[in-house]
Amino acid sequence: MKKRKFMALALSCVMVCSLAACGSKDTGTSQPAPEPAPAPAPAEKTDDGAESDSSADSQTPTDTAADASQAADITLWTYPVGNWGDSETVNSMISNFNAVYPDIHVTVEYLDYTNGDDQINTAIEGKQAPDLVLEGPERLVANWGAKGLMVDLGDLWTDEAKSLIYDSVQSACKSNDGVFYEYPLCMTAHTMAVNRDIFEAAGALQYLDETTGTWTTENFQKAVQAVYDYGQQNVGAVYCSGQGGDQGTRALINNLYGGTFTNAEHTEYTANSEENIKALELLKSMDGINFDASIAGGDEVNMFCNGTFAMAFCWNATQEKNNADQGNINFDVLPMAFPTESGEPQLCGGIWGFGIFDNGDPAKIAAAKTFIDFMANDEKQAVESVKASNFWPVKDLGNIYDGDALMSEYAKFIPYMGDYYQVVGGWAEARTAWWNMLQQVGSGTDVKTAVEEFVTTANAAASAQ
Amino acid sequence: MSKNNSMSKALVRRETIAGYAFMLPSLIFFLGFVIYPMVQCVFTSFFDATMNREDIFVGFANYIELFQDKVFLGALKNTVIIVVVSVPVTCIFSLWVSSVIYDLAGPACSAFRCIFYLPVVTGSVAVAVVWKWMFNNYYGIFNYIGTNTGLIEKNINWLGDERFALGCIILILLTTSVGQPIVLYVSALNNVDQSLVEAAEVDGATKFQCFWKIKWPQIMPTTLYILVITTINSFQCFALIQLLTSGGPNHSTDTIMYYIYYNAFKLYRYGYGNAMGVVLAIIIAVLSAVQFKMAESK
Repeated sequence: MKKRKFMALALSCVMVCSLAACGSKDTGTSQPAPEPAPAPAPAEKTDDGAESDSSADSQTPTDTAADASQAADITLWTYPVGNWGDSETVNSMISNFNAVYPDIHVTVEYLDYTNGDDQINTAIEGKQAPDLVLEGPERLVANWGAKGLMVDLGDLWTDEAKSLIYDSVQSACKSNDGVFYEYPLCMTAHTMAVNRDIFEAAGALQYLDETTGTWTTENFQKAVQAVYDYGQQNVGAVYCSGQGGDQGTRALINNLYGGTFTNAEHTEYTANSEENIKALELLKSMDGINFDASIAGGDEVNMFCNGTFAMAFCWNATQEKNNADQGNINFDVLPMAFPTESGEPQLCGGIWGFGIFDNGDPAKIAAAKTFIDFMANDEKQAVESVKASNFWPVKDLGNIYDGDALMSEYAKFIPYMGDYYQVVGGWAEARTAWWNMLQQVGSGTDVKTAVEEFVTTANAAASAQ
Repeated sequence: MSKNNSMSKALVRRETIAGYAFMLPSLIFFLGFVIYPMVQCVFTSFFDATMNREDIFVGFANYIELFQDKVFLGALKNTVIIVVVSVPVTCIFSLWVSSVIYDLAGPACSAFRCIFYLPVVTGSVAVAVVWKWMFNNYYGIFNYIGTNTGLIEKNINWLGDERFALGCIILILLTTSVGQPIVLYVSALNNVDQSLVEAAEVDGATKFQCFWKIKWPQIMPTTLYILVITTINSFQCFALIQLLTSGGPNHSTDTIMYYIYYNAFKLYRYGYGNAMGVVLAIIIAVLSAVQFKMAESK
């Protein structure tokens, strides 16, 4: 009996030791042993005036970069922002970077939106956070930045950068107390789209302005009715089975009567305003518009492409490009801004850029800043970096999509980009509460009751953060 | 004598050590990936635990919140409905199918077993995608058949209407649940002592009497096993919910497992999620114990 106890004890010790061994890997602040620096790049590589000179033109970051020219291994984790999720494209850009900074080695890991957050959060818990991450302000600023995990990128935000980058983007990249946790690279404005063939056949094109891509709320109603009367039973759907593509339903409801999702300070949810209630009641009452709790944004896009719906609320240039490339669309797509009473839409935008996790290693942080500076500010590389995303630059880089009819068409929506409110607290809970609210409205719950419940839930989450 | 005794003890010791050595890999795995997480789950349920900050001890606050959380109580109710409907239906249906096919000729029996077992070996994502397409509001086959035969006036949003969504989930769950019980029952029925059945038939017993008095007692252990695993599987219904409805519409298909996932891996409320996990484990343990007791008493 004693022997058995002894064996059990010994086994427990083995177990504890093995677990301890699993957790004892030092991943904290210790300086990694630098790899031998590779041989300097041939002189002609760095003599490419545009690259090296434009980098040198930058102010503080390049000073930091000069210090960072020593060997440093950094990791970049990138969400699938266009071709930033494609290893061939990213490797090509890293080659450009290494041509100028041969001693900084960048290892890339590609995330997806299903598991990416889990991977990063797990890495943070395990003190294995990446040095660099490419994503938007809702994660870099409102989530990890607010938790004190990110490096202040104030030195990248030089006066010159501030003068060049659009104001709406700047405000999204900093926290409420003014600390910049993101350096932006690209942006887009999410639109909606209509099936031009059906609209034409239904005589509904008269209600929209094809040139500017705008329409009024009144004309939107007339157009939907015309398409419905034409025989298209399912004109559009307020999809709400999950959070996928929810920027479309938010933008639709906020735009119809000029409502807002949060207050201007991004501290409180305001979706229970009279304007939003009126918009929801309007949508609920319209023939041809269904609140559909069985589909999400991705399903809606597919059903728009296969002709089930005559309009899609979850749309942007990339959607059209991808679906056209795959041969999914056999009709004319007409991208449109969301309808408004005023005719001045406020589109929901997407901003993507770089953030640096504070891993406590000044050399890595400096190298990461050098990387950001090169990718976003180098005159030649910045264009390539933005084009890789399939979106638009956050500052005037000229017409980078010259000759690309699709991208040129969608470029007209960029000036309509509205407030980037996604940096509000409690965002994850609010997104879930939003589609739950739409489901309630769809199943007959009083609109005011449903939005009040949404706002209560979302604000509670915001204040708890 | 004493020399033999000490040799015997040495032999026993060597065998014991060898036994433990052979067990060691799986024991380490079991302790590390089953026991340790279970203990950690119970421990964490007493904390406000989330990502990127220290855990805060909150005592029973998570448990108190749990039973005041309307969504959790709704999820509990939905889970109970799934269990109450799917467990007996699965058992009865699979027993009926097995009774019909177990004495068929070899290939026929194998073919039926294959057909019923296919949904079990098919990936749940593939199963969910096919069912989602069949239930589609706009061009799903059920609506097509229903409207064309006059069974329904207009399309029904099967997965988007809270009156139907949970029923649809249960139906899909049944199709993926009956395969294994059918295989087990066929095997159990084949193992029933045929001489007893033949003797009863000679004595004039009806088919029902043969089944109830002879076969049923002999397949009782299999039934118990099927009851327990079906109950556990039904309580742990997650993938279908995640893939088809995300708990909606209006939380009408939320289950405890899905709500645990949502809290732990979407909101990162590990303490709260673990408290739910503990409650779920207790419920399953109690039910399993009751099932075993009932079986023993018979």
